Amino acid sequence: MRKLKQNLSSGHTVAEKRGLLYNLSHYRTPYLLILPALILVLLLCYLPYFGLVLAFKNYDILSGIWGSPWVGFDNFKQIFSNEDMLVAIKNSFIYGVTIQFLGMPFPVVLALLFNELRSVKFKKVVQTVSYLPHFLSWITVIGLFTSMFALEGTFNTFMKSVLGEGYAVKNILYDSKNFLPIIFMTHLWKSVGWSSVVFLAAITGIDPTLYEAATVDGCGKFKQALHITIPCIKGTVLIVFIMSLGSLFNTSFEQVYGFQNVYIQQETDTINTLVYRLGIQNGKYSLATAFGLAQGAVALLLLLMSNFMSKKAFEVSVW
Amino acid sequence: MKRSLGERIFNVFNICLMLFLAAIMLYPYLNQVAISFNEGMDTALGGITLWPRKFTMQNYLTVFSDEALLGGAIVSVSRVLLEIVLSIAIIFSAAYGLTRKNLPYRRGLTLYLMIPAYVAAGVIPTYIMYRYLGLINNYWVYIVPKMFVFYNMVIVRSFLQELPDSIEESAKIDGAGDAYIMVKIAFPLCKPVIATIALWTAVGAWNDWTTTLYYITEPDLYTLQYLMMKLIKESEVAQKMAAEAAVTGSEGASFIPTSESIKSATLIVTTLPIIMVYPFLQKYFVSGVTLGAVKG
Repeated sequence: MRKLKQNLSSGHTVAEKRGLLYNLSHYRTPYLLILPALILVLLLCYLPYFGLVLAFKNYDILSGIWGSPWVGFDNFKQIFSNEDMLVAIKNSFIYGVTIQFLGMPFPVVLALLFNELRSVKFKKVVQTVSYLPHFLSWITVIGLFTSMFALEGTFNTFMKSVLGEGYAVKNILYDSKNFLPIIFMTHLWKSVGWSSVVFLAAITGIDPTLYEAATVDGCGKFKQALHITIPCIKGTVLIVFIMSLGSLFNTSFEQVYGFQNVYIQQETDTINTLVYRLGIQNGKYSLATAFGLAQGAVALLLLLMSNFMSKKAFEVSVW
Repeated sequence: MKRSLGERIFNVFNICLMLFLAAIMLYPYLNQVAISFNEGMDTALGGITLWPRKFTMQNYLTVFSDEALLGGAIVSVSRVLLEIVLSIAIIFSAAYGLTRKNLPYRRGLTLYLMIPAYVAAGVIPTYIMYRYLGLINNYWVYIVPKMFVFYNMVIVRSFLQELPDSIEESAKIDGAGDAYIMVKIAFPLCKPVIATIALWTAVGAWNDWTTTLYYITEPDLYTLQYLMMKLIKESEVAQKMAAEAAVTGSEGASFIPTSESIKSATLIVTTLPIIMVYPFLQKYFVSGVTLGAVKG
């Protein structure tokens, strides 16, 4: 306010546009405070964008990024003639759709169930326990589950006790058929509790008078959940869903890489793991960049499309 | 108010379901604790669930006497501390600068900072850029790329925007300078939000192993999590360690810890800091999720 008054009294309005140099010197303290962030983002985020030209070049380490010859869309054409890459695209899609679509209802239902718990203390304990796996790294989770599925682990012990001594112990992680169920289940184990936080917050934000009115009208708990809670959190659910569509092709690198082993690696590679193997391990920078760029473009397109559709259909959008 | 029979049945069912959920969440970890205290040879026979059958501390002694793991612990702890201090300094000053009154080009600057948070250049271009910057096989690759996180900056910024202007004005009348107001008044007022971000940064830095996987080949710079990854993924390494323990250890043959037990002990040691701290600080973690919803 004080500054506003000063400006007015000296005959200048705040909205008045001044020259760049004047602004830079007059507001130099705030600009200097933002400067480190600006430089970091420039170096670590903006300059790498130029590296994307590699997707259209044949990178040669001696000539550098600019000296390497242009090859047009050759790298992209290679993607669709390479067996491994087609498998990786298929896997990324299947894993992503399963995790995002099939996994979606679980945290919502969990939040609804948490909300129905009467004892505050019990609720707190269960919540704390269910959030815990979120704070473990993927590699820790993988360590826990490889131990569970090891030949001498709990899984085989359990199967033996159920199916009798005739059960032949085996490591289910060495069979690529089990890979999808395993990454789906472990994803759920790690994230279901934490993902419910957002929905629980939405439920807590619902106007309590709605429930009071419903009770007066003789509405039971089930009907209240069905007719008040669920419609009230619909917007939150949709927004979370839209945001997750952007990562449809982006299954966690850490999870997939961690659960892979020599027996199943080729059949279970995703775009992320293949980009790492091709680019960083084998130095095929151009091909890996093109592959990553194609994935990023599709992800952005999916996000924009789903946002547009939800805006039209439900009047809910991220932007 | 009397509850209907259906509701009571549902409540019992709900509580049982929650207990089952809690058991599933805890079992893998408790199982790992039991294995880590069990004799390696015995573990290989299978059937360890929640309690060690043949109790031993040998696995932990092996882990603690391993120099590679000790080096990894030093790298991990130091990077967590450095990352917290530097990232909070940079994020807070950027957020503070952006919330100054009448700042010209504020929208443009925010947009500039925001775009990369949504559209990343990708693994390979980033890798090549890091190489130009000399970050490959450099300790600072752990810290520099994580120093500015847009999302965290937004959280601090919306918190700063909530502070009443009168605080700054009265401080100015009392003769406080700009630097004094920022460091001694605004920063302490942001403590709750800073605590949340510090915790997130710490957990993220402690749990990170892909940075090492992508950018580090120098064993001196390996972190604890990366060493654990190698242990889990490469059984040869574990067998080598077990062989070394057999050479140095004077106990009987049954005390040779197998890879599985060493792995469990390493995993427990690596996750212990988080397991110990998390239940007490849970409210800070959770409050951050809803903080992010306040977009400025």
